[in-house]
Amino acid sequence: MNRILQVASNRWTRLVLVALVLLGLQTTLFSQLRPFGVMLPLVLIFAVSTGTVHGSEVGAITGLVVGAMYDCVLATPFGLASLVIGSAGYLAGLLPFFLREPTWWSRIIVVVVVSAFGESMFPVALATVGLDGWLNSHVLWIAAVVALFAGVLALLLVPLSRWTLHETAST
Amino acid sequence: MSGLTINRRRAIVLLALTSIILLTLDLQGSSATATVRSAFATIFRPIEGVVRVVTRPASNAWYGITHYDDVKSENRLLREKIAQQEGAAVAAAASVRLSQELLALNGLPTLAGINSVTAQVIGDSPSNFSQSVEINQGSESGIRVGMPVLNAAGLIGRITQVFPNRAVVMLISDPEYALSVKVGSVPESTTSSTVPGEGIATKITVPQTTTTTIAKPVVVSTIPGFTPGATTIPSAPSGITTLTIPSSGTLAVRETGILEGQGPSHAPTVRFISADTRFGEINVGAPIVSAGGSTSLAPPDIVIGTVSRVVRRLGTAGPILEIELVTDLSNLSFLRVLLYQPITELVTP
Repeated sequence: MNRILQVASNRWTRLVLVALVLLGLQTTLFSQLRPFGVMLPLVLIFAVSTGTVHGSEVGAITGLVVGAMYDCVLATPFGLASLVIGSAGYLAGLLPFFLREPTWWSRIIVVVVVSAFGESMFPVALATVGLDGWLNSHVLWIAAVVALFAGVLALLLVPLSRWTLHETAST
Repeated sequence: MSGLTINRRRAIVLLALTSIILLTLDLQGSSATATVRSAFATIFRPIEGVVRVVTRPASNAWYGITHYDDVKSENRLLREKIAQQEGAAVAAAASVRLSQELLALNGLPTLAGINSVTAQVIGDSPSNFSQSVEINQGSESGIRVGMPVLNAAGLIGRITQVFPNRAVVMLISDPEYALSVKVGSVPESTTSSTVPGEGIATKITVPQTTTTTIAKPVVVSTIPGFTPGATTIPSAPSGITTLTIPSSGTLAVRETGILEGQGPSHAPTVRFISADTRFGEINVGAPIVSAGGSTSLAPPDIVIGTVSRVVRRLGTAGPILEIELVTDLSNLSFLRVLLYQPITELVTP
């Protein structure tokens, strides 16, 4: 029984459960609310937020795990979202290299920039595996809208990622 | 602390390698990824269902705020369109029926002879880089990968993933979508009516198999390329049916090309296999329909759209046609999946 409770309270278990809910929001609410015709990549922004809070390694693991789950509901080649979101999570975690003591607003700026960059990496990754129809000027528009709304969503997702992946005594 | 870092790095490498292996398997067409997706769907669908119910008020509120004016103007426009099309629809329906009878008479395949499943759209694509929708019918309804999907207006895409109770439809605008199509030439005169008995070029006598009688239609249609009553099957008291077929010169010439999606921000295009088109100049407004054939995933003559722009190219490359789709892909609700598979795809039991 203790073992089960220990697993249930593990932060990685918490991550999977939170990711399932976020993925549910992604495939329902966020696939319908398309401000300026662009779908907001909630799972990507969550992974990037995690990177800014917990560092590049945790950001990369979160991105790879959440991305793999995202791959399961996408029609694009399996593994592509995992690699892109994992890379974005890792990149966001490099923030301490540039800032000794990151503030809340510096984290938001990093989320904005890296989310837009990560979203624009999707068509690049698709082109890498031979699906090059998505690499056009529309990507810039998508990146701009994602950047705009990532700042707002980061206000919610940064605290959520902090709570989800905080280290308890057992983990 | 360093041990923890090493463990994390090992985890990152392991996860990244797993992703690369799965990516390679998926690109090779392995069924392993489909199994993983199916297993994940078993866990995820109930959660998604709950989230959908919980977030529906927010979703509806968003639609109310952002689409209210559009819905009002669209409603007014639709009422006008319905009034305009009511008359033409009657004549068109009669012509379609006659066309189907003629095709059946000659042993040619028709859309009416293909079973279909009606499905409802239950979700949009959860990505900016995939043009697809999810429908609420799957393999239990006989749906298979590759089957064409239509709505009331015309072709909208094809099935790319099938699960027991749902399926994913790749829309015609997706850059991965491709289909062989026919481009019809636009006749010189497109607004005319034909009275049976005039302009008969060929007469064929066949044993009477139908009792269809159409009154002399004197309808002026505004549909490009559509001549109401041009093909008629008048009833004959002697027990012989006379088919009136227009002369070959008045039939629309067809040219075959490949239709390719170009993403949500660009119109789909058609490029020709050959630079030399048989009917010379291609006009804006020429109809585009599916070409069919033994290897095509769609049966022939499904309406797709019309030519909106002809892009000339230098050399022997031939022109590229931009297509205005007859379907509104941004507003899909009920769809029809044709349970059609080309002969080459059929598996004999």
